[in-house]
Amino acid sequence: MVDIEMDETWKKEFIERVEKDGPWASWEMYELALEAAMHLSVPEFDGLQAPKHLPHLTPLPHQLEVARQVVEHMNGKAILADEVGLGKTIEAGLILKEYMIRGLVKKVLILVPASLVSQWVMELNEKFFIPAVQQKKSYVWEQCDVVVSSIDTAKKSPHREIIYKQQYDMVIIDEAHKLKNNKTKNYQFVQHLKKKFCLLLTATPIQNRIEEMFNLVSLLKPGHLGNAEYFAKTYGKTRTLQTNEHLKALVNKVMIRNRRVDTGIEWSKRHVKTVLIEFTKEERELYEAVQALKYDGTLLLGQPFSLITMLREACSSREALFVTVKNMLDKHDGKIPDPFHKIMEKINAVSTNSKAEKALQLIQSIQEKVIIFTEYRATQLYLQWFLKQHGISSVPFRGGFKRGKKDWMKELFKNHAQVFIATEAGGEGINLQFCRHVINYDLPWNPMRLEQRIGRVHRLGQTSDVYIYNFAVKNTVEEHILTLLYEKIRLFERVVGQLDDILAKMNFANLEHYLQDALLNSQSEGEMKIKMENITAMIELANQFAKGGEQYAAT
Amino acid sequence: MQQHEIQQFLERYFRANECDIIEADDGYIKVQLSVEMDKELMNRPFYWHYIERTGGAPAPMQLTLITKQTEKTNSQEGERLHFGSPRLHQIFRSAQKRGSFIRLYEEAASSEQSHIPLHPWLGLNVKIAYQCDRKKDSLLSLGLHLISGTIIEQFHDRLQKLKLIPKIPDYCFTISPLIQPMSGIRRLEQYIRRRISEDDHTWAEQAKERWAEDLALLDHFYEGVEEKPECYYIEKEALEEQYKPRIIVSVINGGIFYLHSRT
Repeated sequence: MVDIEMDETWKKEFIERVEKDGPWASWEMYELALEAAMHLSVPEFDGLQAPKHLPHLTPLPHQLEVARQVVEHMNGKAILADEVGLGKTIEAGLILKEYMIRGLVKKVLILVPASLVSQWVMELNEKFFIPAVQQKKSYVWEQCDVVVSSIDTAKKSPHREIIYKQQYDMVIIDEAHKLKNNKTKNYQFVQHLKKKFCLLLTATPIQNRIEEMFNLVSLLKPGHLGNAEYFAKTYGKTRTLQTNEHLKALVNKVMIRNRRVDTGIEWSKRHVKTVLIEFTKEERELYEAVQALKYDGTLLLGQPFSLITMLREACSSREALFVTVKNMLDKHDGKIPDPFHKIMEKINAVSTNSKAEKALQLIQSIQEKVIIFTEYRATQLYLQWFLKQHGISSVPFRGGFKRGKKDWMKELFKNHAQVFIATEAGGEGINLQFCRHVINYDLPWNPMRLEQRIGRVHRLGQTSDVYIYNFAVKNTVEEHILTLLYEKIRLFERVVGQLDDILAKMNFANLEHYLQDALLNSQSEGEMKIKMENITAMIELANQFAKGGEQYAAT
Repeated sequence: MQQHEIQQFLERYFRANECDIIEADDGYIKVQLSVEMDKELMNRPFYWHYIERTGGAPAPMQLTLITKQTEKTNSQEGERLHFGSPRLHQIFRSAQKRGSFIRLYEEAASSEQSHIPLHPWLGLNVKIAYQCDRKKDSLLSLGLHLISGTIIEQFHDRLQKLKLIPKIPDYCFTISPLIQPMSGIRRLEQYIRRRISEDDHTWAEQAKERWAEDLALLDHFYEGVEEKPECYYIEKEALEEQYKPRIIVSVINGGIFYLHSRT
């Protein structure tokens, strides 16, 4: 028989009132109390209550289904692994709300990347009426029921010790793929948390190796995929098709993954345009002066990366290049090597920025809000100044901004400025679907990062078609990257989810390495082309795997 | 809960708590809070502390609550309420706090002249929650005749049909209970236990099965490890909290009712 816990507090107070002859409630108050209790009681184990409490929120069918699955069939422990942009936060919010309404969850810990903390707090409060609080002072852990924090803060002393003393009913972790390695401090921190109900959110449950899946699942439900030894033996390198199917079935018991194609949601179109730019004579000379360093063995010995960086900077702005050159010179203790003199000279000779001119033309012709992404701070500053000279207001945005400032900048852009200039790190964790034009002022070499950029505007809630303009300077590294990599595999036109799959099949840590090798170590244009073709073929192969039936852990 | 039910609930709540309703029309209500209600709902302890310390004139707030979108309410300033609003839930909690304990007498029909005996009843409305990793509530309204020990269900429904007043009516007298309130409560608890034991508890069996499954997985995960790490014990505790079936009986409200005898 199940233990029955009887209410003791009411009894005690009632007897006191009987002895003191009151005070007594009115009949109307008594009725209202009972009616309130009736409205709040949930007469069924099954079904979702949350939607009734959230009339202004219209969850999509797949989001409601996820919430129901997790509560009814996964016992409140799940990996939510929808593709980017399908609303994992909404799903997590629905599940949390459901448990809170039913009184199963009170104390909640939500760990998210620092850049997403304020967004989570805002969404939970505004969309779900869940009084989530951002962890700012250490007393918050104890005094507030629903706390949002970055994992980096949480794992540090004294926070960690305080957190371990709390009795959390639910732990939610966003961007959980960062917990793929069980040797890291973050992993061990989360492993030691008591997880009664737990949601792990990630769009990319596997990035490289199958062990990552094992680590993630073992965090949620240790033993579900066996122990480490068993897993390695059964699903390691020599696994058969049969065990593969078996593994897939097991994983699907704790993971839900919706794909964009399955949701039946109409996505707006993506129009991609390449904008090729011609350098001025002075810009070309600067670029070539940098390239000449390749043959100067003494200067860049052992740091081939610097040359690539400098070439890319020369394509972005002379300001970006100047910062790097100056940093290098500082290391030389004032003895300025000869080639650098020449570069400095050429930097000074440049008087216009062809790319910026092009961007200006484009912005003026678009007449709508535009986001410009650049990889360099110096370019960002220059662009802001340059646009201002032409009467265009812009908002600069960086990853290093404090949470509050990020939100404020976003509002500023929404209401007061035409252009938003973001550096790479600014791409994460901010939603700008009120804008539909994106200029990639310079291209990142990792396609995932490009997707992140575009994902800021091309996501659920974007009702218009999205326009992407890719800038590249003719006859430079940029053009090589653009034509050989991006255009050949038509990366821009792919939908987000496909890319996930493709990248999961490749080890992308290596991609930059391959590119570097092709661009730097090739003796001739021909050799470089061949190497680039190889990379393209590699991606194509991964693509075919992704398309093929051997898909891993698909629902 | 429909929007018009919310509107009605609010009107009744504020009236019952002696707040002036300045306006109440289709889809909204505007009330002048009493000092007590301001303290209860508006969450401004510093203001009240200040007024009380300085002896200033208290100025309780007015509250406009909108329950329906109409042409009129669209342009109105006020809080928009729906079933999930924190404000409504605050009012629910307040109602439950203020409507917990009661004592009432049934009014006599005026024609009767002789002394009428009123029988003591203990009324109790309880919520029974079946809880594991999932949860289900049911409500039970019980009445115990404090003379004979008779227990009846749906007691509240019966009370609703009667005219009940807070003071003992003229020409009536109360019969002293033979069963004291405390032992009355115990009798009702016994009754509730029996009612629960007669219910279907497959849910608890299934929860225990899920628990056992996960526990077996956990043991497998640490199989062969001589000295189990701390994580193992943390996880084990978490599983217990997640799955262990419990039944929680909480009293919504209750009290003593003096009623006519009915044969």
